[in-house]
Order: sequence, then structure tokens, then C-alpha cells
Amino acid sequence: MTGKTRGGKGSFGNVSRRRFVAGASALGVGAGLTPFLSRRAQASTEVKVLNWQGYGTDEAWALEAFKKATGLDIVHEYYNSESEMITKLQTNPGAYDVIVTNSAWNGRATELGVIQPIDTAQVSNFADLNPSFRDSPLLNVDGKTYGVSWVWGITAVAYSTEVYKDAPTSIEALWDAKNAKRISIRDDAIEAVSFAAIATGQDMNHPSDLAKVKEKLLALKPNIAMLWSSEDDWNKQFQAKAFDLSVYWSGSALRSKTNFKLPVGYVVPEEGAVGWFDGLAIGTDAPNAEGAHKFINYMIEPTYYVEWATKVGAPASANPKAMAALPDSDPSKAFYSDEAAIKRLQFMAPLSDKERQDFSDLWAEVKTEYAK
Amino acid sequence: MTPTTRTRWAILGLTGPAYLWLACTIFLPIAAMLALSFLDKSPLVPKPASFTLDNYGAFFGKPFYWSLTRWSIELGFWVTLFSFLIGYPAAYALAKRVKGRWREAIFLLIVLPFWSNALVRIFSWTMVLRSNGIIDLGMQSIFPGAPTVDLLFTYPAVVIGLVHSYLPYMILTCYIALQAIDDSLIEAGRSLGASKFTTFRRVVLPLSLPGIISGSALIFVPVIGSFMEPRILGGTKGATLGMNIEEQFTVTANWPLGAALSFILLAIVLVIFGILFPFLRKQGGAA
Amino acid sequence: MKNLADAGIRFYLILVLVFLYVPILVMAVLAFNKSPLYALPFEFDLVWFKALMENDRLLKAGLNSVLIALANTVIATSLGTMAAVAFGRYTFRGKTMMQALLFPPIAIPWLVIGTAMLVFFFWIGRAIGYPGIARGLHAILLGHVALSLPYVIFVVGTRLNDYPKALEEAAATLGATPCQVFRRVSVPILAPGVVAASLFAFAVSFDQFVISYFLAPPGVTTLPVEIYTSIRKGFTPEINAISTIIILVSMGLMLIVARFYRFGGERSGNE
Repeated sequence: MTGKTRGGKGSFGNVSRRRFVAGASALGVGAGLTPFLSRRAQASTEVKVLNWQGYGTDEAWALEAFKKATGLDIVHEYYNSESEMITKLQTNPGAYDVIVTNSAWNGRATELGVIQPIDTAQVSNFADLNPSFRDSPLLNVDGKTYGVSWVWGITAVAYSTEVYKDAPTSIEALWDAKNAKRISIRDDAIEAVSFAAIATGQDMNHPSDLAKVKEKLLALKPNIAMLWSSEDDWNKQFQAKAFDLSVYWSGSALRSKTNFKLPVGYVVPEEGAVGWFDGLAIGTDAPNAEGAHKFINYMIEPTYYVEWATKVGAPASANPKAMAALPDSDPSKAFYSDEAAIKRLQFMAPLSDKERQDFSDLWAEVKTEYAK
Repeated sequence: MTPTTRTRWAILGLTGPAYLWLACTIFLPIAAMLALSFLDKSPLVPKPASFTLDNYGAFFGKPFYWSLTRWSIELGFWVTLFSFLIGYPAAYALAKRVKGRWREAIFLLIVLPFWSNALVRIFSWTMVLRSNGIIDLGMQSIFPGAPTVDLLFTYPAVVIGLVHSYLPYMILTCYIALQAIDDSLIEAGRSLGASKFTTFRRVVLPLSLPGIISGSALIFVPVIGSFMEPRILGGTKGATLGMNIEEQFTVTANWPLGAALSFILLAIVLVIFGILFPFLRKQGGAA
Repeated sequence: MKNLADAGIRFYLILVLVFLYVPILVMAVLAFNKSPLYALPFEFDLVWFKALMENDRLLKAGLNSVLIALANTVIATSLGTMAAVAFGRYTFRGKTMMQALLFPPIAIPWLVIGTAMLVFFFWIGRAIGYPGIARGLHAILLGHVALSLPYVIFVVGTRLNDYPKALEEAAATLGATPCQVFRRVSVPILAPGVVAASLFAFAVSFDQFVISYFLAPPGVTTLPVEIYTSIRKGFTPEINAISTIIILVSMGLMLIVARFYRFGGERSGNE
């Protein structure tokens, strides 16, 4: 967590940003040049959300229900990577109300001053949240809450139930010689390094022996059929039987099973797996902060979560009441309440720029070997 | 020839709008990126940045960058070569053998597939190339018992996908150049006793060189920076420098390094074409 | 013998077209396939077309993309053709330099250019106290046109490498007005290049993701943005359906154009 001088005043300090926004609204021509495409913010009736596409906040039934309850319309903009989320926040001050952040990036956004403290009194479901997420220092700074914990999930091993009658129990299954050309991992430096660190018994966020991590990843070469790049990619390739075993996200695995009826099994190996949690933040100078609080409250409500999990497939809610409200038949309920498995998780923490660069270089080197 | 004031104004009037546009939206931001490639921090990090050569040093210090660069150039070479081998005869046939309305129709039909999204096209290719895919099933139905054809996640798959994406540039630029050649020139060559091949080599090929050069530039240059086709069609077999550059923006948020790598890529392109252009010009009979 | 050669040539052209259309046909067929994951065997279903008709967001994105691409095509083709004519017709100092400047926009990955543009526009907006200027239709168009221009200049320039200035001059000497010279001499020379360039300009804009992704205001989207940001959920065959409709409509329009208008550069009386 280097590069974290809190309260550091850079060129992007609050004062200057406020002045620009004020200047713009005084002119009253924010998007006046673009009558064709842009829709001038109706501050009171719209809430602007910045999130991944297809990640809970943009389900049509949810937006309808929310509109019915509050009269507010939700408008979306999407990002494709967390660093692009930060870029968008920095270059569009005052444009977003609600931002989906996560345990590894919320602190960065706080430090850059692009998200503002949340008035938890306006979020009635806040008290119900699981304290270990709710009060995490990754979402709270100087006693102020900068992110309301929303969902949490696991990055572990997905397998084809057609090929595996019994779930593989060890992470070593990925390296097993009989799985030659039958496994897939994501083309992502941090995920790859984290997983290899777990497999070599190291601290996932700050592995002390990167040479060992590299060696472990290189040993994976004969088994790798492909590197997947998106959930869509994963589903299409899995459906075509391009691989049997893969490092995959829990929410996505449930979606593959619930939504796409694919024969997917999911397991947290003995050695452990990656855990992560996402937060809901409010942008600095949000045009509709009141609406943002309402939307955040709705997002952590049990009724919304149950519908999301059962209809579509979702990560686990950070609200235990929501988890309890899931029907017992739902696969996510049993899965996310497996205490023993959860104990084996290591949660994603912020990385320093140097660590991120080292991981990325290591992964680039490994991929270069894969390509040979 | 010294341009008179009138031609000077004409040049300014004709090139001014395009280059002013390019300057404001591309050249200035790229210049800012060039400056950034010599800094140690992204401009959006609220801390003072200082001058460094480390970003360029990283390229020269890490052997995997050399492999990635070599592979990118090789990939660009293969894709350009195959586009030429497939595209030039097609352009020739279209320019010299097809007459009437069909010519316009085929001309348009060649570009039309690209009024769609690359990602959708690439996923369609995965359906064609994989085992139990369209090529495989076709082969099996013609030659029952033939070995399975599984091209997906191989280097040829990347080349096929990229040739498909860039072929129209080669066909149409060559067509435009070939079509401008007066048929009487070719006939003259033939009537002077030159063989078909000699006429082609001495007359047609040199005169169509501008088309080949334009087409090659429009193919080779973007291909060496490509990352989507190599990633999805190549499995692990299509590592390129373009992929690494992309990651410097999406994963590490290390813009200065990403920018430095981009300018190295650009420098390579300029060097290659700087060497090739004069050479090709000469071959083209001072065209 | 000649007939045989002609048949062979026709066959070759058809083969090349088949190659170009393979993924398009697959795309269209899968739009009618029931499986959301492109699973085979094929099961005919119109479910994706029905879903598309109800998907306002996607339809609007498609419309935005087409409108932006059309505007881009008109602007980029006009400006690019003018520059290409200057390069073809005149020799002047700095010409090689100006042509070399067309390489950076093609060589540098679009993600890098898009990011540079975003930050640059943001700085400009901040400097003039008007940050809203960084985003919107004008910003998207600025970016698309700039990225299309090098393609247009290259393609049109192919035809003008040795610009037949003599022809224009001859026509003028014979008493043609400048307007007549332009219409009768210059246009036929330019036409194939300009048409090809405009088709490419449309294609460049229509599939351009990064610029719209960074520069569109919240709530506004284009087709490529919808597709490329669906990285978590993945896109459904609705995308195949809308792409198929767009291709079919364009094909219809193009064949009509080809029927009535000659731009292939055919010399009269050659038919």
C-alpha cells in the first residue's frame, strides 16, 4: 500500500474540482454542445452508476422495482478494468453518483479524493451488514466510511461435472500431468500470481518468494489449453469443452450453472483460494448524493439480493439477512455458508504500484514462455 | 519547381483542415504521451513526477520484451505476406477481368463484412476453427475418417483471423492502383513481344506498387500492435507487444511504461518503412 | 481457352468472397440459434430477434453507432481526400514529413491514443474552466475522424501517386471550365479511391470502441461499447441479430448504389 499519503493535496484536490464544477454549472451549458447524444442530468430523478456491465446494478427488474419505490431512474456507464474506473473518476469529476469499487481499489479512490464519505445514517440496512466487511479498514478511513460493503466472492477452481465425478480437492489438480491441455486460467497477472502464491504456500498479496511463484506458473505450461479473458469467453469455451478445469469466479460459476445450465462444479481447494469483496461508493460532488444513498440501501436489501441470486446467479451478499433469506434449495446458500472453506480464503488487499508492476512483468515473462 | 504563392495557398487549403484536425485530436495528445514516457508517474497521480529513462530501459533490460517484439514483427510480416498473396490476384482479376456492374458490386461486397464488430467476428472464427467446428465437420463429411482438424488456439488461427481482418485493405488499394493502369500499356508490352510474365513484371507490378505499399502499411502497422485476435484465437500461442502495452493501461496503471512501449513500436514501424519506402520507390520506376 | 481462364478467375474471386464472408455467415446463423453460448447443434429460434426488439438500450446504441459512423464518413472522407489530392498534385517541402505523420495514429494502439485523448481533452476543459467539453458527441466525432483520416489519405493517395495533372491541364486548355474539369476529369480519377476510403472510414468508426468508451457521457452508449464492456456477463446473440440486420440493410443499399452509380473507374465504352 505504498503511494498512500492520505490527505495529500495534489492538483486534483477537492477545492479546484469544486470550482470547475461550479463554473460549469454556472455557465449552465454542461452538455449544451451535444444536444443529440447527451441527456442533461436531471439531478433529482437520475442516479448515475459506474460499474462493470451485467454486474447486478443493471438488471432490468431491479431498476423497475427501484423506480417504483423511489421514482429514480438509474443510468449506467461501464468500465472494463479497475484502473480505467479510476481514470474515469478522475477525468469526469462530479459525473457519477454510485461507483462499484472493491477491497483492493477503494483505498486508492479514497486517497485520490474521487469518492466521498458516505452518510451511513441514510442507509438503513447498513447496520445489518457483516461487521468483518462493513468495518474493514479497506473501506473505512479515519473513521469515515468510503465504501458500503456490498457482495463478496471467491476465486477458486471450477470443474466440469461431466469429467469429474468427485470434486478435485487439491489445487495441485491444475498441475496434474493427466490434465495436459485441459485447464484454463485467466489472463490476469494478479490472479495468476495470487493463485501460484497460494499453491506454493505463500501470502497471496505479498508473496516473499516470487521466483517460486514464477517456477510454479511455468510448470503449468503443458496443462494450459487457453487463457480466458472474460466470463463470456469462459462460458463459450467451456460449453465447447475446450477445458475441464479452471480458476474461475464464484459468482460467475453460479451464473454459468443457473443461467446457462452448464455442468459446472465449484470447489475451494484445501490449500485455499482468493477471496474478495466489493463496495459501493459515492463520487465526490455526486450530482445526486441523496439518490445515491437510496440506491446503495436498495442494493444491500435482502429482497433485491434474493432475486439476483436466484434468477441470475451472484456472489454472496455482505448482508447476512439477505443470505438467510435465500431459499435452502439455492446452490449459493450452501456454498457461501461453508465456514471451513471460507476460513481457507485469503482476501485481496491493495497492492503497491511496484508489486503490481512486478506481478505484471512476471506474468508477461511466463506468458512469453507459454507462447514458445 | 518553386511553388508559386497560389499553389502554396492551394496546398495549405487542401491539407490544412485534415492536419489541423489531426493536430488537435491526435498529434498533441500523442506528444503529451511522448513526454509522459519520460516520466516516472502517470499525470493523474497527485505527486510530482520526475524525468527518467527507466521506461525505455525496461524494454532493453528485459529479454521477454525482445521476444514479444520479434514475434509481433513476424506476425505482421506473415499477415501482410498472405494478404498480398491472396489479395493481389483478386485485385488484378477485379480490375482487369471483371467488367460492368459486377465490378462495383464486388468492390462493395469486399468491405461490407467489416461493418460489424471485430469481437463478434473473432468469436465466429472460433466456431469455424475448433474441432467439431465448421472446417472440421466439412472435412469429415467430404473425407470420412480424416484426422480431426483443430486449428483453434494455434498460431495459424491467429494468422487466419488477422488476414481476414485486413485483407480488404490489400485488395482495394491494389485494385485502385491496378485499375489506373491503362490497358493499352499492357497491350503495347505484349505487341512488342514481351511474354505475359515479363509484361506483368516490367509493367503491371511496378505501376501497381503504390497500391501494394499502401496496403502493406495499412496491414503491417496495425497488426504488430494487435491484441484481440492473438488473445482469443491464439490461446497461449499469440503473445504480442500490443497485449503487453494494453496491460500497462488496464492492470498496472503504468501509463509511462505503456507509452514508452508504444513509441518503441512506432519507432520500429518508422524504421522499417523508412528503409522500405525509398527502395520500393526505386523499384517502382520513380513513380 | 479464354472462357476457361475467365471461369477460373471468377471462381477465385468467389473463393475470396467466401473467405471474407465465413464469419459473417456464422454470425448470422448463430443469431437464429437458440443457445446463448453459440452451442451446437443448431436449433432455429427467433428468440434473439424478439429480445432485441425489446432492448431499447441496444437499439439506441446501434442507432448511435450508425449515425456517428455516417457523420465520420462524410467528414473524414472529405478532409482526407483534399489532403490526398494535395499530396498527389504538388511537390513541396515537408510533404514526406506530413505523410510520415500518418503512421503514429495507426501504429500506436488505440487504447493508448484513447487514453491520451481523454486526458488531453480533460486538461483543455479544465484549463478553460469548462470540463464538460471533454465529453460528448463532438469529442467522439473529433476522435473518430482523426483515427479515420490516415486510412482515407492512404487509400485515396494510392490513386494519385502520379496525379495526371496533364489531363486536367489539357482539358482546361481545350476550354473546359474549372467546374467541368473537376466533374469530367478529376472525379472519375478520384472516384474508386474515394468510395473505398469512405467504406473503410465507416468501418473504422463503426468498430471503434476506446474513443466512445472514454468520451461518451454517462448513459450514452454505442454498439462497440455495449459489446466490449460486456466482459463480465458476456454478450448475447442479440448482438449477432443486430449486426446481421445492419449488414443486410447495408448490403441492400450498396447493391442499389452499385446498380445505378458507376464509381469503379470503368472507362466509358469499355463494357
